[in-house]
Amino acid sequence: MTELVAGPLPAPGRSKVRRRRRRRTNPLIYVALVAASLFAILPILWGVSTSFKSESATLSDQGWIPQVFTLENYRLVLFESKIPLYLGNTLLVAGLTVIATIVIAIFGAYAAARFRFRGKTASLFLILMTSMIPGIAILVPLYFLAVQLGLYDTYAVMVVVYTAWQIPTVIWMLKGFFESIPDSIEEAGRVDGASHWKVMTRLIFPLAVPGVAAAAVISFIYVWNDFLIASTMISSDDKRLVAVGLYNYLSQYGIVWGQLCAAVVVSIIPIVIVFVLMERRIVAGLSAGATKG
Amino acid sequence: MAIAVHPDVEVDVMTTNEAGPPERPRRRRGRGVGDRSPLGLSWGLVLPAIVIVAVVSIFPIVYAINLSLHETTYMEVGDFVGLEHFLRIFTSPDGLAEIGRSLVYVVGSLVITVPLSLALASLLNQQVRFRRVFRVLILMPWVVSQTVAALLWKWLVNPDYGPLGLGDLPTGRLDFLANPVLAMVLLIVVNVWISYPLATILCLASLQTIPEELREAAEVDGAGPFRRFMKVTLPLMKPTLFVVAIQLTLLYFNMVTLVYTLTGGGPLDGTNLLSLSAYKQSFEFFNLGLGAAYSVVLFAFNILFGAAYIRLLRSDRND
Repeated sequence: MTELVAGPLPAPGRSKVRRRRRRRTNPLIYVALVAASLFAILPILWGVSTSFKSESATLSDQGWIPQVFTLENYRLVLFESKIPLYLGNTLLVAGLTVIATIVIAIFGAYAAARFRFRGKTASLFLILMTSMIPGIAILVPLYFLAVQLGLYDTYAVMVVVYTAWQIPTVIWMLKGFFESIPDSIEEAGRVDGASHWKVMTRLIFPLAVPGVAAAAVISFIYVWNDFLIASTMISSDDKRLVAVGLYNYLSQYGIVWGQLCAAVVVSIIPIVIVFVLMERRIVAGLSAGATKG
Repeated sequence: MAIAVHPDVEVDVMTTNEAGPPERPRRRRGRGVGDRSPLGLSWGLVLPAIVIVAVVSIFPIVYAINLSLHETTYMEVGDFVGLEHFLRIFTSPDGLAEIGRSLVYVVGSLVITVPLSLALASLLNQQVRFRRVFRVLILMPWVVSQTVAALLWKWLVNPDYGPLGLGDLPTGRLDFLANPVLAMVLLIVVNVWISYPLATILCLASLQTIPEELREAAEVDGAGPFRRFMKVTLPLMKPTLFVVAIQLTLLYFNMVTLVYTLTGGGPLDGTNLLSLSAYKQSFEFFNLGLGAAYSVVLFAFNILFGAAYIRLLRSDRND
């Protein structure tokens, strides 16, 4: 089959078939892909492996597959640590952030994609420019503000800040999505006598569900993984988010690697599942949101 | 042949948006709808977004600039001290060293991540078996937070209990976190590990907009795989690579969490970056004035990088 490759090429149709065949047989590509996959998941696999070892085995058994499997670490993490509480807090804050972000951004994105009005360019520029302001640069003022407004150490302050930080990207993503929906749908709705508001909420928003889902997942994962805001705006242990909780696990109990790895596994399983299920949508959303920003 | 098509396609790469309808008719009709656009409704729709970003992002950056010019004692804002805090950053050996380390970190991470992402995107763009499995596995680090990445890698390279046997190598014990230079190397490796998936996703999206016919045409003209890549693929991907480079530069330059959780700036300040100092001065030492000055310097660098890249991109497109 590989001899064919060197031969002269006649019709374009045949050349396509030939190309595909040659690619499938090039083993170097598979070697590279496997190597890249290993680099990507090796640290995670080592964590998973450790999470099934007993505390003494983490210091003696350096094999990738535990000699003795134990679920003790998971029992401790799930029933005798604060990790489930942190996970609940994170779920709450991330969920509220996603709802607030989508509700605010979907209207802004629709107006940006469909209406022309005075000041549109300036206001869009203003919103998008704020995504250039690094979080670390405004952390101190936000801290001051939160303390003065009495919002320090509340879920609310986290939700507000995360929402504001996600809005520029999500508006950009959804704007692109709305622009890919043909105008003729709105025109038909308007001809039938529906108001702008009705056309938008009844006709267009339902069509935007796939784009909204991708944006929602991306925002959710952002909050799930954030450390900066969660570590500076919250002081009481009962309101802690999981990223900070994991880090404190390190200092609090000395380094108990088995338990720590079990906690890490528990905290990343939900997003790994979402990622595997929605990989295609997430990738499309990320590339739409980022390449245009 | 390929070169003749080039300008058109480049425009396409910049404006393509999923499977949108043809550009021109849509735009003209969009204007039609616009003429009847309700001004009140439009503003009502955009206003909530403007209000929240103004309160959470724009007001604080102004506040930070003001704070950086004042003396502070914990939460008390004291006398106006002008540029004293900034002078401290730009004239002290510590401040200059932090700027230097930040540049090493950014450049070191960029020169690995960009080519790596391009290579991975090309691999994932091939017609291979189990393509989806490889895609999910290779992009997996995207879901891992900086905190978790730091914990996992710390454990992976542990010289005594890690699986890599770094404690008894023939060349001696290799403890990444005990040596300032090695700590920076590890920091860059972990940083590459968490940031290459996003860059790969962007490169892959751009690769997929390049028509297969172009590469086939180049093949017909007798170009080998390497020449095809250099003469057809790379020029078409240039705008995307610029965007990726900007995004990564800003991400790296502002990064706090990974550095804080992996090395904490140590050992011997070997990984103490500008961004980490902004965080530590503010929230560990509570020098809020100085911390704010660090923040303003970071913000200024962000604008500088952003502007520089946009300039490069413009001059490149005018050629």
